[in-house]
Amino acid sequence: MKRSKTAIFAMALGVLAVASGIGLYCAVGSSASQPAGKPIIIGAPLSTQYLYGWAAQRGMVLAVEEINARGGVLVGGVRRPLALEVLDTRDLEPGVPLSEALLVVERLILEKKAAALVGGPVRSEAALAAMDLIAKHKKISILTTGALTPAYHRRVAENYEKYKYLFRITSEAGQLAKEAIDLLDSLRQADGFDRIFIMVQDVAHARAIGGLVAKGLEPKGWKVLGNEVYPTGALDYSTGLLKAKDQGAQILFVWMDHPETAILVKQWHDLKIPVLPVSGISGLVEQPGAWASSSGAVAYWVASPANAGNAPSNATPLTMKFYQAYTKRWLVEPEGYGASSSYVGIQVLARAIERAGSLDADRLAAALEKTDVTSAYGRIRFDPKSHQVIPSYDPKEGAVGTWFQWQQGKRVAVWPPTIATGKIRVPPWLEPKKG
Amino acid sequence: MVLPLLIYGLINGSILALTALGFSLTYGISRVANFAYGALYVLAGFSAWFFLNRLKLSLFLSLLLSILLIGLIGAALYRIALIRVRGMPTSEIIVTFALGTAALEALRFFGFLGSHYTLPAFYSGALPVFGVPVDYQRLFIVILGAVLFLALWIFTHHTKTGLAMRAIAQDEQAAMMAGIDSDFMATLSVGLGAGLAALAAGILLPLSYIATESGSNILVYAIAVCIVGGLESTTGVLVASLLIGYAQMLSVIYLGPHYQMIVALLAILVTLILRPSGIFGKHKELEERV
Repeated sequence: MKRSKTAIFAMALGVLAVASGIGLYCAVGSSASQPAGKPIIIGAPLSTQYLYGWAAQRGMVLAVEEINARGGVLVGGVRRPLALEVLDTRDLEPGVPLSEALLVVERLILEKKAAALVGGPVRSEAALAAMDLIAKHKKISILTTGALTPAYHRRVAENYEKYKYLFRITSEAGQLAKEAIDLLDSLRQADGFDRIFIMVQDVAHARAIGGLVAKGLEPKGWKVLGNEVYPTGALDYSTGLLKAKDQGAQILFVWMDHPETAILVKQWHDLKIPVLPVSGISGLVEQPGAWASSSGAVAYWVASPANAGNAPSNATPLTMKFYQAYTKRWLVEPEGYGASSSYVGIQVLARAIERAGSLDADRLAAALEKTDVTSAYGRIRFDPKSHQVIPSYDPKEGAVGTWFQWQQGKRVAVWPPTIATGKIRVPPWLEPKKG
Repeated sequence: MVLPLLIYGLINGSILALTALGFSLTYGISRVANFAYGALYVLAGFSAWFFLNRLKLSLFLSLLLSILLIGLIGAALYRIALIRVRGMPTSEIIVTFALGTAALEALRFFGFLGSHYTLPAFYSGALPVFGVPVDYQRLFIVILGAVLFLALWIFTHHTKTGLAMRAIAQDEQAAMMAGIDSDFMATLSVGLGAGLAALAAGILLPLSYIATESGSNILVYAIAVCIVGGLESTTGVLVASLLIGYAQMLSVIYLGPHYQMIVALLAILVTLILRPSGIFGKHKELEERV
């Protein structure tokens, strides 16, 4: 009995200490913050347990903190702080039904009273399914991570009146395939590579990109030796790698975002398969920790975390500013797809709210359509019909993607040439055809 | 592609055998279908990572401690939770599945995410086997798999405890009359099964990285192998692993890699239709148990 009384006393003391801490924090916080108005709720439906979810969340938190530190957003003469409400859609997790993501979107709109949505849903299928729901509630939504399907902006263009509240500020499959084709063809011109083997994950966007890349390269003189589709969770890639080797492939094009990509990376390295691995969006290769976690096996891998800013480059004066701020805030470099675009997504929304002077969805949509700003990944403008961010290889003209290569433990930007800080190197066990 | 098929089919089979061995052993002795098996595998990976990277112990010691720890957790799982529902198969499945899911969700909640949780390979590099390059870790898997099966056979056939376990598996009541403590043997079997899951994790995880989502994959593969081979048969595990392993490789080479996941699930379906007790299963009432 004595012991339990002591425990209760200790617990009470602990609770008091925590409460005092919170009180002190609130007091200091409230005196330091400028915005006085009611917070503007921004709903963020994200698959937070996955890279494309948590990187996006961190980008958003950083942007919200910066905006609030500057005094918030001016709406109707009142400075109002932004408040981020993140809910986990789990849509990147295997076996979780899409209805989970839709429920989250609905909760953010109805229960959390979000003024706008930024972020996901992250899986293309979930993002497409959520379009009608968001349109029904007339909420502004800016997709900043994950969903790559071109069907998203095509739908907006085809039924503008219904979907005019929906925007996508990040890249999409068609643009990423184009970048991959242009990058690979530059390798053909520079090094004489013209034999490619494609390995993609069995998910819609990866299969589509594999097909698009094969279709785009053949007319340019490439020989596509194989286009293999691997199921999510595949544990062995030796057959594909040995096929690529036997058929004399020089490039291995990979598009996979499941954790088992680690097996492919290690098998390629250990078996010394004489191909240059070029991977697009890849949950594993993108991450700053990939070098350490693979014990350097990821060396020579080329990958794209989609937008500039997710890997170091000098795309715009704001790129490294964002990069450093993110690193300082989260003690890790921007980890991959979704980080810079979600940061910029919040900034663009905040500016649109100020321009519209209101949270009314129609006025906000009109303000967003007029967006024209320089960001961490170039100039941001939306296509007026499809609301897809306008891409470009020139950061002064549009949103620029980035492709990097792992070189001596660092992610070195190698494409497009406008932002490259280094050149692609080939593994010592692969000889380029030209000098 | 014949040589790669033969070599990588064997490797694939060995991976599946290692994956399923602990699940089969536990079921074979105690008749407990431990659906927390995948979670124990993942926990083993994270604990080995912790010993290696946080406590700076050697790889060998880290794996050894991880096997001991997970074995103890398995034994505790039986003594604390399973003993109360022993003999009620549905409840056993619900309890183990719930605890396994809770453990995996807790790992996610506490931030065990990302590709930086890795275990190093025992030795990096590759060796040509009849002209087919194979990395050392996969060679270790085949060798260790064979050694493990041999060691288990010796343990269950030539040690007092092993013989007692077999006695329980064959006829629990008769074994109890001979003075064998059924609950102790069941505790040992769940603990040993968990330890084998940890051993599999220590050998297999260096191929990839430690991810919570791999828990469900491991469980599916273990169940597939055990159903095809016969839930209580160690020989069945070996044969079914090789069958599924080679079938997967054949599908990868001749049909396309995306069919390989279907193979394991198809094997479950075909077995349940044609021979519900599995290739080496001795009991007919399998469909009532799982």
